[in-house]
Amino acid sequence: MLWVDKYRPKTLDKVLVHEDVAQNLKKLVAEQDCPHLLFYGPPGSGKKTLIMALLRQMFGPGAEKVKVENKTWKVDAGSRTIDLELTTLASTYHVELNPSDAGFQDRYIVQEIIKEMAKNRPIDTKGKKGFKVLVLNEVDKLSTEAQHSLRRTMEKYSSSCRLILCCNSSSKVTEAVRSRCLNVRINAPTEEQIVKVLEFVGKKEGLQVPTGFAARIAEKSNRSLRRAILAFETCRVQQYPFTSNQAIPPMDWEEYVSEIASDIMKEQSPKRLFQVRGKLYELLTNCIPPEIVLKRLLFELLKKLDAELKHEVCHWAAYYEHRMRLGQKAIFHIEAFVAKFMSIYKGFLIATFG
Amino acid sequence: MDMEMGMDNDMDIPLPEELEWLEANSHLNDDYEGDLEPPEPYPDEEEEENKPQPQPSKQNQQPTKPTLSIPPKPTPITDPSTSPKTLINGKKRFRSDGSEFSNSDEHAQLEDKRSRIDDLGTEIDDEDWIRYSPPPQNEATEVVEPVVVEAVEKIVSRFASEINGDCIPVTGLDGDRVYAKMSRVEEDRLKKLDVKAYSSGLISEPIHILMQRVETEAFAKALQASVEGQSDSILPGTPVVNEKLWVDKYAPKSFMELLSDEQTNREVLLWLKQWDSCVFGSEIRTTGDEVLSSLRRHSLVAQHQKLSDRNFSRNFAGRFSKESFKGYNGLNQENNDCKAIPELWNKKAKCSGPPERKILLLCGPPGLGKTTLAHVAASHCGYRVVEINASDDRSSSTIEGKILDVVQMNSVMADSKPKCLVIDEIDGALGDGKGAVEVILKMLAAERKSDIGKENVSKEEEQGRMSSRKKHKSASLSRPVICICNDLYAPALRPLRQVAKVHIFVQPTASRIVSRLKYICNKEGLKASSIALTALAEYTECDIRSCLNTLQFLHKKKETLNMLEISSQMVGRKDTSKSVFDVWKEIFQKRKVKQERKSASGCSSISNEFDFLHSMISNRGDYDLILDGIHENTLQLHYHDPVMQKTVKCLHSLGVSDLFHQYIMRTQRMSLQVYQPSIAITVRSLVAQNEKPNIEWPKSFQRYRTMLMEKMDILRSWHNKILPHISRHMSTKSFVEDTISSLLHILSPPTLRPVAVHLLSEKEKNDMAQLVNTMVSCCITYKSLKSDPLPSASRHDAVSDTSMLSFDPPIGDLINFKGYTSGHFVLASAVRQVLVHEVEKQKILKGSINGSMDPIDARSKGNQTLAREENGRPQSSTSGSSTSHAENMRSAKNTSILGISNLITNHVSSASGSTVNAKASVQISSPGDTKKAKKPSSGSFNFFDRFRKSSSKGSQDTDAKNKPATLERDSRPLLFKFNEGYTNAVKRPARIREFLL
Repeated sequence: MLWVDKYRPKTLDKVLVHEDVAQNLKKLVAEQDCPHLLFYGPPGSGKKTLIMALLRQMFGPGAEKVKVENKTWKVDAGSRTIDLELTTLASTYHVELNPSDAGFQDRYIVQEIIKEMAKNRPIDTKGKKGFKVLVLNEVDKLSTEAQHSLRRTMEKYSSSCRLILCCNSSSKVTEAVRSRCLNVRINAPTEEQIVKVLEFVGKKEGLQVPTGFAARIAEKSNRSLRRAILAFETCRVQQYPFTSNQAIPPMDWEEYVSEIASDIMKEQSPKRLFQVRGKLYELLTNCIPPEIVLKRLLFELLKKLDAELKHEVCHWAAYYEHRMRLGQKAIFHIEAFVAKFMSIYKGFLIATFG
Repeated sequence: MDMEMGMDNDMDIPLPEELEWLEANSHLNDDYEGDLEPPEPYPDEEEEENKPQPQPSKQNQQPTKPTLSIPPKPTPITDPSTSPKTLINGKKRFRSDGSEFSNSDEHAQLEDKRSRIDDLGTEIDDEDWIRYSPPPQNEATEVVEPVVVEAVEKIVSRFASEINGDCIPVTGLDGDRVYAKMSRVEEDRLKKLDVKAYSSGLISEPIHILMQRVETEAFAKALQASVEGQSDSILPGTPVVNEKLWVDKYAPKSFMELLSDEQTNREVLLWLKQWDSCVFGSEIRTTGDEVLSSLRRHSLVAQHQKLSDRNFSRNFAGRFSKESFKGYNGLNQENNDCKAIPELWNKKAKCSGPPERKILLLCGPPGLGKTTLAHVAASHCGYRVVEINASDDRSSSTIEGKILDVVQMNSVMADSKPKCLVIDEIDGALGDGKGAVEVILKMLAAERKSDIGKENVSKEEEQGRMSSRKKHKSASLSRPVICICNDLYAPALRPLRQVAKVHIFVQPTASRIVSRLKYICNKEGLKASSIALTALAEYTECDIRSCLNTLQFLHKKKETLNMLEISSQMVGRKDTSKSVFDVWKEIFQKRKVKQERKSASGCSSISNEFDFLHSMISNRGDYDLILDGIHENTLQLHYHDPVMQKTVKCLHSLGVSDLFHQYIMRTQRMSLQVYQPSIAITVRSLVAQNEKPNIEWPKSFQRYRTMLMEKMDILRSWHNKILPHISRHMSTKSFVEDTISSLLHILSPPTLRPVAVHLLSEKEKNDMAQLVNTMVSCCITYKSLKSDPLPSASRHDAVSDTSMLSFDPPIGDLINFKGYTSGHFVLASAVRQVLVHEVEKQKILKGSINGSMDPIDARSKGNQTLAREENGRPQSSTSGSSTSHAENMRSAKNTSILGISNLITNHVSSASGSTVNAKASVQISSPGDTKKAKKPSSGSFNFFDRFRKSSSKGSQDTDAKNKPATLERDSRPLLFKFNEGYTNAVKRPARIREFLL
């Protein structure tokens, strides 16, 4: 098992990073009054881990006994019936699913599954909660329709069902849904926290971690705990005992993006843009989300850029990312950004060097 | 009139000397025609044609016959069209050429009869039937005329309702229409005549008698009719409908009249001629190699001199007809010679068999005369055209029968002309049209198969075969098939495109069309300037049909063609959609010629161009594809763009179109689609160049989509395989973003030496175990990919052997970017082999544990157990091979499941005895374990060791590693009783999992 999974805290007590949040959650559970929750924060900050720990806190270890179900729903949508298939993880106490997998029909999924949960409402026996929990992942990818349908259902069935929503950015969740939930912001762990976790892992594994090494990994990890621990394990596999200046293997796609960036810096022409397009396609083909490609590309470009231009370039990156999210063909917009950058940069070069 | 009658007589029996004379005549005629433009139309001829008079109708019949050398111009009446026609009758071996065009119903019965005569004729001799056949034809034409003529004589009225019984419409020159009654009496007479003619057989007196009678009648009626004609001309006041469309009226009737590109015409003809040997048999093979080669030569020359003036080509045509005629004569002799030498003959016949490609596919925009060409060329070559078009039933089953009828059968009845199948609008309806395509392909395939088989047979039989006729008859596709379509790239035609000979129709030059239009206008008395006609032709994109219809429409409205009107809505525009390639080309390429002309008119040209592009793009629809194509090809253009401004704008527009598209799709507001074309036009204004763009079909986006889907599927299925408590924390995105690179590093540690397992050091074994554990928990294993070695792997270590072991969910591919070398270490294949074994073992182990536990339990606890075991296990396998050890464990465990109670008893009973021993073994940790492994006989002992840990509250296990487990277990109440000496001491049923943790 990877260390990421191996040393994942199972209970709220063992949480290392967001201790304050964990304590609050614990209190929440203790008070028997659990509202709907919305967890949001950057990837690798520990949202899921906290949710799982919370569930365990609520229902005891039984919540960890999950089984995978591939369920089909028959939804009666007015004139026709729609067959929807979705994979869920379910324990006796909760159901976990990824509604955005259903694509544009996510609305039906959300409604249907909540209704079903309400129907099979657990009998309030001793010590057991009278509600089930529905964990919805990637709520920010839910369509607006689904979110709208969610807000009514949330209220209607709140007696029998609690929702735990999880997403990266709360801005994509409609105001209505946000106001019905207790919003829990999970920050990306600070580098000190990451170092702490790494040292904990190192101790557990019985490794000698040289001073500064953990800090280096933390620095490279982009404040993502997952990445930090994986990098740590990678280093362990690559070379042990550690040396403090040991190379930390980079992410491949990030390397590739930096290659693209240097391509762009070298030459600005439609022809070069065409080559860049091929490389961008490569990245996208390998399932790397276009948003992070664009973000990373900007990051790489900024590294090599004159301070004068940084502001403008950032502006355009934001502009094209916005359009990319509105549109469908990400490549158009990433490419448009690259072209824009080339244009700005070339203009700048001509202006400065003649 | 006398002259004409004389000619008619000539037609009866074309004697050789007459033929010569006619040939000479025709040459004169040709030359004359070639040299000068026709000075003026001949009103006489036209009048005759249209007036309801007996003589004209007779003559009406005559021009319909195919003439090789009649140019599409009015011919001087002095040597009227009859002379070339006769020539043809002599030259060609088909007697009933004319009947194809005079497709009046009255002919049907006659044709029947004629064919019977012909059948007789064919059996005699070639020469003979040429001589014999004309009479019946003549008879036919002559016989029919009276019917009409006399009917006209009876009652002529402007209103059909005023006539009792059948009537036929007759149209005068000025477009006035009268209805002429048809009398029953005449029909009887016709029948009588028929019988007579039939009984008389070949040429005989009755015809002359008949002719005379007809003549006298005709004369009498001519007088009357002329009077009537005058009265007709007085009558019209209100506009009357002219039923016959100009398009039909002036449709080319002979090969030389065709307006389409001459080279295409010739090639079609050549292709048809190649069928001769196959269809008509070698004996009547009139188009010899010389002719074919000359045809070929002509088309070659035509290719070079395509741009030469029309005069030249006309002369050319004249010469061509002469040559082919001579060729025929020469060939006939040759044929005779050849018959004497059968071997040589066979060889010849073989090499000039049916053409390589048995299907001709004509394609081009509507109105260029594809159908006309097919019909004219086929009948020119002596085929009877059978047309299947979109209006017919084209379902697969019905069409198959039809095609088989045409293509494989030899007509028994009717005329013995072979048929030529013309499938019109084959691209029309997708579902239906496919039927036809399938049938044809099936036949071709069958033939190819049989050809292979036949090859051998035919070689053997060749000796005894006198002619190749029979052989060809047995072939499954023995008649020419011409398919006509508008869109060559219609999906239904894809298979056909590969096997057919494709001819793409190009627009004929505007001047050609204009001259023809002018001629027609003159004939119809419509005033139109050449400039206006040119504009019209250009406007309709040289669509003759639409030109003619427009002109006729104008004529009806008594208006003149006027330059300005053309672009106004008066003339209907075709609602054609260009192919998407054409659209792209329009976008990327500036129109040079137009630009020059339009530059004068300034800003109106811009709006014109905009209108044109807008309508073109919106006619095409499919904006998504169009914009994809623009995206794909824009960067390849050579536009001047020093600071990339244009590129930025281009991509910006594309982005806008994408937003548009997305918005439209989301909100389903399709009406917003109308704004899409303007985006494309924006791009055009930025990047359009004069040079010809090299346009590629936009593939990359589709490729990206499909590959992305593939990889997503791989990831998803893998994700489903992983245990949920791990997989729930790993979304696809986070996996690709954060995990994959590290995971690959972790899975292939460079520290692992490629040596046998038992040679590994303690630490290495530990690492190995951890690696195996990771692989198992992530459901990754190696799989041998013999055919397709993992590209990334082969890149990384060139030494690795060909039978590659690569990751089973091919996660390595996810970092396999083109042109990027990752620094991943790749394990030696030996190590991978070992790993595969270990992983398998581990899986089995896990499976057995899971099997023994409650499935839900297994998820959470089993894994903990496993993890713990994992830690212990490698140590235990220090000296013994890990394989045997694992085997041991497994078998032991299996037994444990089977005989729970027995084992328990065993354990517990032996516990007291061997506690010390066990303790010792545990305390010596790894060496102790080794001992255990080495003693397979003491399986129970092995188990006891473990069991004791789980069951005994009292036994103070000092093993540090197992402490937490013990503690945890201790928290549970589990009571045991045992009575020494009894084997069945434990009364309570217990499950193994309760002992395991």
